[in-house]
Amino acid sequence: MSETVTFKLNGKDVSVPKGTTVMEAARRENVAIPHFCWHPGLSVAGVCRFCMVKVEGRPKLEISCNLQATNGMDVKTDTDEAKTAHKWALEFHLVNHPLDCPICDQAGECGLQDYYMSVGKYPSQMTRPKVLKPKILDVGRDLVLDTERCILCTRCVRFEEEVTKTGALGIFDRGDRAIIGTYPETKIDHNYQTNLVDICPVGAFTSRDFRFKQRVWFLKDKPAICPGCSTGCSVNVYGKPETRTYFRLKPRQGEANGHWMCDKGRETYRHLNQDVRLRGAFTTDAKGHRQDTNFAGAIESLGKRLAGVNPASDVALLVSAQHTNEEYKSLFDYFVGDLGIKNVYQWREPTEKIDDFDGLLYRGDHNANTRGLQDALKQNGIGSGVKNEFDFVAKSGAKIVIAITPEVPSTFPSLNRQLESLTELDFVSFWTLAGTVGDNKKAKHAIPMKGFAEKKGTFTNHDGKSGELAAPFPCPVVDGRDISEIVAALKGWRPTHGNK
Amino acid sequence: MAISKVTVIKVAPPPLDANIFIAGWGYITTIASGMWMTLAIFIKQLIKIEKTNTLEWPEQPSTYSDRFKGKHFLTLRDDGEVRCTACFLCATNCPADCIHIEAGNHPDNELEKYPVRFEIDILRCVFCGYCEEACPVDAIRLGPEYAMVGTNGGKWVYTKEYLAERKELSGGITSVKDETDKHPIVVVPALSRKTKDIKSYVRHGIH
Repeated sequence: MSETVTFKLNGKDVSVPKGTTVMEAARRENVAIPHFCWHPGLSVAGVCRFCMVKVEGRPKLEISCNLQATNGMDVKTDTDEAKTAHKWALEFHLVNHPLDCPICDQAGECGLQDYYMSVGKYPSQMTRPKVLKPKILDVGRDLVLDTERCILCTRCVRFEEEVTKTGALGIFDRGDRAIIGTYPETKIDHNYQTNLVDICPVGAFTSRDFRFKQRVWFLKDKPAICPGCSTGCSVNVYGKPETRTYFRLKPRQGEANGHWMCDKGRETYRHLNQDVRLRGAFTTDAKGHRQDTNFAGAIESLGKRLAGVNPASDVALLVSAQHTNEEYKSLFDYFVGDLGIKNVYQWREPTEKIDDFDGLLYRGDHNANTRGLQDALKQNGIGSGVKNEFDFVAKSGAKIVIAITPEVPSTFPSLNRQLESLTELDFVSFWTLAGTVGDNKKAKHAIPMKGFAEKKGTFTNHDGKSGELAAPFPCPVVDGRDISEIVAALKGWRPTHGNK
Repeated sequence: MAISKVTVIKVAPPPLDANIFIAGWGYITTIASGMWMTLAIFIKQLIKIEKTNTLEWPEQPSTYSDRFKGKHFLTLRDDGEVRCTACFLCATNCPADCIHIEAGNHPDNELEKYPVRFEIDILRCVFCGYCEEACPVDAIRLGPEYAMVGTNGGKWVYTKEYLAERKELSGGITSVKDETDKHPIVVVPALSRKTKDIKSYVRHGIH
């Protein structure tokens, strides 16, 4: 496999491993060849006839996705002949396209729109009416299919056959009446549906979840790691920073996930939105009345309580495995290293099957950083967590429990029940994102936290590989802090004068 | 370097006293003739010899041309629903960021998408007309209404209902522009889907 071939791409010498196609080589060299049906994660189909390149010495243009590079080949992507071919290939794709961009969710990230502006710009020559096809078909839980917008690139058909191996989609009928669709009385039913929306270069597949919620040109995307399970897929978080709202996750090409991600993971943006989040810190005064406070006030009341007990025996720490390695380090450095806390428990979902794996991406361990937490616990000389830890917390006799709740509620079906049972204890300080803590009248103390899209740090996935959260969005909650910031504030807190 | 030459510009000499008297007399006569003209027209109009050009607004209405860029309105389809498809192009194009749209699924599959909310914060609006320019379906226009009154902040946010069906529009404005005008629809029998009567007309109103 180490054999390489050298060929000329737009006059520049390019060396690639033998067997590489011109399309792949051009992608590696950042030469844009317009394409619809070719996708790096799928097999070559060569049906869109759009990625035409000129090979010197050959009489006709060739499609670059199915053209293996050979020694001495002289490929040109920017000759007039190739440009004209792109232009008129695009016109063929648009012959029966309904041009309902105003109501199409793909507008703004659509291949047809982008290529029309870059290689098209022809006046329409069509005088015949367009062929009408079925629209708004329900083909799956999260999918809406519009066969009129489809350009028959067969990416979705190949995805169904090659990636999920369900083969639910096919092309029916012929010629200009050919439509994409599911077989009679079947629907797409798997955990990777929304990938079809991502790979569809036009608006034929749209996501039911994202449908009509926002136009994509208002959104900003920032790279992150999916917090939904221990696979740690690389994703882009799409949000609107001006309104502090999040809309969707999309896969980003990464080592752990290739080009895909699962539908369960795509739901993990929802808990970041303000309407379900804990919006402010609160504490309880001496009479037992709950009082809303700011971050400093919450730290003050927690610091006072911590100062009044013997931390080694009276404080218990309940940690979930959905936070970053950096946060765990600062947390254990302070609570275990400085205060000498012995009672550390891991927050576990009783029903989860840690070792489950669906064969593609989705794992039974619904915590993004189980490995990271285990490593951190090991470093601090604490055994790994136990199940049914709430009994242990209760039996430990701790006067103060610091409960750092799991971030993603969809991965913890019993989260609310567990929060409920925790409020029965004497004093629990919740560090949480969950708005249900604020709704619970019995909760005594809470500090809102930042979500995965709002902080920097690393997750260690099941494989021991780390993924980075590098570009945070602004936090929708004013007092939202990550664990490191809360611990730093607790460390820096000193009883004010005359207030001892 | 020293200044070699100084140029003196001669200006007009100060006026003599007699000149002041003569010029002052001229002022008085001119003012008097002007006042006489004013008084004459005032009296003529008072006793209705001459027609006055003043409008007693707002009792006497004054209208601008239909092309005036005044208060916005949303046009309707034949079936009486707003033509807007909630494509957000006006909101994207708006330099004042005053259009707020919330899109939703229309129960009728033919229409697919419609604005659940369409609001214009008219206090932010600069009446540039870019929304009208951007609209691909002729759903928003700026009309000739120019008088805008409101007693509190809420009155200045025009809702979808107000923009489409306020009483000044006398039942709403139906737009003549239709996608089907450009491409007459021929329904393919095997894959026929419901199509509406494409005839549209202009109701007598502002436009």
